[in-house]
Amino acid sequence: VRTAAAPVSDLVVLPGPMLLRDAWQGVDLLSHRAARGPLPHLPAGALVELVTAAVLRGRGGAGFPFGRKLAATARGRRRPVVVVNAAEGEPESAKDTALLRTVPHLVLDGAATVADALGARDVHVVTASDRPETGDAVSAALGERDDPRLRWRHHEAAGRFVAGQSSAVVELLSGREGLPVSAWRPLAERGVGGRPTLLSNAETFAQVAVLVHDGLSAYASVGVPDEPGTRLLTVSSRFAGRLRRSFREPEARVVEVTHGTPFSQVLGPHEVAGPVLLGGFHGTWVEGHDLAALEVSTAGLGRHGLTPGAGVVLPLGALGCAVRATADVAAYLAGESAGRCGPCRNGLPALADALDRLADGVDTRARVAELAGVVTGRGACAHPDGTARLATSLLDRLGAHVEEHLAGRCACPASRRAAS
Amino acid sequence: VTPGASGRRGGRPDVTLAIDWPACRARGLCAELLPEHVTLDEWGYPVLHGPVPARLRDLVVEAVRACPYRALRVAQSASG
Repeated sequence: VRTAAAPVSDLVVLPGPMLLRDAWQGVDLLSHRAARGPLPHLPAGALVELVTAAVLRGRGGAGFPFGRKLAATARGRRRPVVVVNAAEGEPESAKDTALLRTVPHLVLDGAATVADALGARDVHVVTASDRPETGDAVSAALGERDDPRLRWRHHEAAGRFVAGQSSAVVELLSGREGLPVSAWRPLAERGVGGRPTLLSNAETFAQVAVLVHDGLSAYASVGVPDEPGTRLLTVSSRFAGRLRRSFREPEARVVEVTHGTPFSQVLGPHEVAGPVLLGGFHGTWVEGHDLAALEVSTAGLGRHGLTPGAGVVLPLGALGCAVRATADVAAYLAGESAGRCGPCRNGLPALADALDRLADGVDTRARVAELAGVVTGRGACAHPDGTARLATSLLDRLGAHVEEHLAGRCACPASRRAAS
Repeated sequence: VTPGASGRRGGRPDVTLAIDWPACRARGLCAELLPEHVTLDEWGYPVLHGPVPARLRDLVVEAVRACPYRALRVAQSASG
């Protein structure tokens, strides 16, 4: 089963405790204001304190402390620019789509709060061209905004994997092709048009909005002490198509999970019956029964060398072949390289080829490990590193599956061919 | 004495190199000029082996100037 390149479309968004509390109550500004109240104004210092006290981390994948990013941007001499990144280049992710299609004004409130605190005038919202409904939702919501002083602009990035990388988004907003470039200075110092730029994921802004609307004590009434509040996860069953059809489930669901909740409460028994790719295509394989016992939080996952990434959870199911799945994803990722950086342009196809041969039953493990090492840290964006992480985690964390596959004991056709 | 990434020897800081990957076209002059500190991968792209000692700074400057694509750089200080 080759992994589809089109983003998740068959989606269910479940109501949640904070961000998705008012999902489906009406996406217009009036309904939003009725549910959440007027937007409070906070100066930069107070906002930095608030998000730091709430231990808010960015939700685009890197998990950088938002208070530090905000403070760094506020230190610049020139007027900053705010960018809401909802390009969601990872096709299996749908959380930003879910937010913008159900509670767009929550995301925009967060961006307005940040822009207001920083004294920014220009706020850019970036969606992907292969998610047209998300773009339409943003256009409609921006048409309703009544923020004095703010200039909102909506941009569409190309619907490709690397177009959501932060340097690619800044390139797009600077009037160039939206592809990753080398960033010699942090965006907080020099970003869009050379200005200090605060670029964050759409969910991060929604978290800011909940925090300023509800206050710290309400925000921290759920979650764990070292990470209050909630986090959005996209659980995609694209790997487990056979399973999905038999269960009549949609392709993916977006759930808002309270930090500290064990994965066994988030995923069904059939979803943890096999390996799970945590963090999406740039993520890490983990055995489902191991993941079930872990809690959804940065620290809880970090103790096991894992991160929530951008919250994409891809269960393989008990019947899937992790080697074949990894090879298919790596082939897709190699095709998604912008082709600008030599090690990525050459190394990713070589890595995908080595994984494909592994899936065909040839023991290429040493070559896979070598290539993963060669491409890591050698590009303008995180694409080679993420692809290497995926490959390395197959060898390191699912070593027993790989052994079984090579020994012809895997349930997949290639393995059975090898055995006969 | 084994200076680390920000190691100093005689008060002069080691030189940390960086590659502008989209600009690099694998000409390999950097590896010719700094063979102990830059090697080439199987496609001819540079692999950096940690900071270059300060005594080789002149050679580093030469390598930076030699790159026809201006893809080799001296990295900014850690705060950058």
